[in-house]
Amino acid sequence: MSKMLKMVSDAEKSIVGFLKYLLDSGKVSGVLTLRQINESGSVDYGLVTRSSELDRAVPLMPVMPVNAAEILSNLTPSRKPLAVVVKPCELRGFIERIKREQGSLENLLVISQTCGGVVPMKVSVKSKNKTLTADYYKAVARGEIPDHIRPTCKACEYFVPMTADITVSMIGEAVSSCRIFLNSDKAVSMAEGFDVPAEDGELDVSITESHLVKRRNERSRLFKQIESEQKGLDDLLQVFGKCIGCHACSRVCPICYCTLCDFESRHFDQNVTLFEKELDQKGGLRLPPDTLFFHLGRMSHMSFSCVGCGQCTDVCPAEIDVSAQFMRTGEMTAARFNYVPGKDVSEEIPVMVFKEEEFQEIGE
Amino acid sequence: MGADPHCGAEISVEKETGKTILNFLKHMLNQKLIDGLLMPVMVPSGDSYAWILMKDSTLVDRANPLAPVMPVQGAKALKSLTRKGKSDMTVAAVMRPCEVKAAVELSKLSQVNLDQLILVSYDCPGAIPLEMYSQDPAGKESHFRSMIEGKQFEEDSVKPVCQFCTDFSVPASDLHFALAGEEGSKPVIVSCSEKGSSLMDKMGLKTSHDLTPWENRVEEIRKAKSKKREEIYKTVQHMVEGFDNLLDTFSDCIGCHNCQSACPICYCRQCYFDSKEARPEARFLLEQAEKRGGISFPQDKILFHVGRMSHMSLSCVSCGLCSDACPVSIPVARIFSYVGSQTQKAFEYDAGKTAGEALPMKEYKMDELQEIHEMIKSAESGEVPHE
Repeated sequence: MSKMLKMVSDAEKSIVGFLKYLLDSGKVSGVLTLRQINESGSVDYGLVTRSSELDRAVPLMPVMPVNAAEILSNLTPSRKPLAVVVKPCELRGFIERIKREQGSLENLLVISQTCGGVVPMKVSVKSKNKTLTADYYKAVARGEIPDHIRPTCKACEYFVPMTADITVSMIGEAVSSCRIFLNSDKAVSMAEGFDVPAEDGELDVSITESHLVKRRNERSRLFKQIESEQKGLDDLLQVFGKCIGCHACSRVCPICYCTLCDFESRHFDQNVTLFEKELDQKGGLRLPPDTLFFHLGRMSHMSFSCVGCGQCTDVCPAEIDVSAQFMRTGEMTAARFNYVPGKDVSEEIPVMVFKEEEFQEIGE
Repeated sequence: MGADPHCGAEISVEKETGKTILNFLKHMLNQKLIDGLLMPVMVPSGDSYAWILMKDSTLVDRANPLAPVMPVQGAKALKSLTRKGKSDMTVAAVMRPCEVKAAVELSKLSQVNLDQLILVSYDCPGAIPLEMYSQDPAGKESHFRSMIEGKQFEEDSVKPVCQFCTDFSVPASDLHFALAGEEGSKPVIVSCSEKGSSLMDKMGLKTSHDLTPWENRVEEIRKAKSKKREEIYKTVQHMVEGFDNLLDTFSDCIGCHNCQSACPICYCRQCYFDSKEARPEARFLLEQAEKRGGISFPQDKILFHVGRMSHMSLSCVSCGLCSDACPVSIPVARIFSYVGSQTQKAFEYDAGKTAGEALPMKEYKMDELQEIHEMIKSAESGEVPHE
């Protein structure tokens, strides 16, 4: 039987209380959490070391200004213990980064939640995170998919964190109370001495299972929608033809960790003679070049690790639903390797292991 | 280049201005005066445009020299073509005045080679924000066409920076299509450089057209826009004054640096703020947090914007691409346009106006910025400098 903390206040207050305890007792030296940074309601991630600073913390708010995986890479390996509160897909993104030697779980206490999804950036910025959240929490408490979350969140199957030390139960949980599940020995020992003693308890699978059915329906609906868009080059051009080549999708992607993307490097500068030749052959060419090539290149580099966080769609100025495209491609590539990105830190990324017997059909 | 328009000529006019321009360019191509044309062509999904370098005349028919939107700054297309050296082909590029200006700035930064390029501009009514266009492409197409045909240059449906753009007709190009003339007047081709004049000669155009009515109309519009500019700058000024206001202005910034990525002037392959050097060690971050009680991510939010301002505002052409690219709707374009207007004023520099002119930062003038010298002197002598 695993352990849990049964709290009598709402999830946000409960977890902030727990975080304050961790800081005040010296069990951790810092806390990474979302926090409100001004009166108008802007939110960012903060590394907080003073518990009074946690008064402005909103660790469970359904927003994702940046995917925290990248921040965790910058903060680790940490010499001192840190508690970090991240969404399940941020944790999965970080696990994928660790496999690429971009971080470490050492000295981290990872706190996550059964996640109701996050609101698109434009919506959260416009509403200053005020009007939407009440409706959001009600829907999550009823075990429903909230209305205004990202399309990829609606279609996310991995809303229960897979490798967190601590899981805050949100989906199907009453708004006024909260249960915090301690999944690891580290979590149990961290909670020792807290006001609320740990008791036996298990995350209610029947609730998450029935929610999963809803998410899966949304997923097949979304994928069905884009299935026809991915059949060939012409279809892909329909989708990515309006790309402006800003590469914002790669910059906010938790998996794309390269300091300089190859597509922005000198390798992709072409001599004008090459353009002249192409112009002679084809009669016309697009400038800057390599629009579709960039997306296919990125897909081949990271799609099997795509955690479907949706950041790429949120930042696309051309309003391409990049995330849905990459999520579907990712699911298909990962499935070929029986791989679930972000599930297990000890598992190698598929392209790093050579198995003699795999893909025999291609050999044939 | 950058000289006053030399001479104007009447051209054969079609029902639509876009077609008129297209026919003129096609003529240049057919006469082999140019080897290729760079123009916007609608993308397959029908809700945006891409820059296409073309020589095939069937492709030319599909182009729209007067695209309502500017998804990619034209100077960037020219950069990708000539970054590694000049072209052997003569290419005519039809672009908005701010794109021409950006190309001129990039030529000073050795990122565009203008030698074999013919820059063709037109009186620009502004560009419709990309987000609004993609919601209703057909509607916006006809709206934009009616703006052109009705000579409406003071429309509010264009980007905020376009609404107050006083350089909508700056002929820094080689050839310029004068569209903003008096009501009922026909488009006129204007040459603005020797390159342009020699092309017009080769085409056998009579360059005796009186440009005065057009110039008067342009001046009239410019005055109105200039007034609007002052009004809007007033609303922006406080957003960048002092650190607290800057913090507030950029509080929603997610650090994606997409403003920089869309900016035609920011040509660095890798921005310093994205480099390994700008990434502090984990240990340093925790030490900072311990000192201050907490630190924010992304790091260097303000430093990035202020750094970018100091690097490129002197060359800012107010094209507005940064605002289009911002996922959290910060009015980056208005802010940078305002700051750019101030820095350019200090150096008496007009970004993109003259190709031969050196960038202010590349030139040392003994007598410039004397007021700063005075400030230092009075500070050293212990006096408090007055505002």
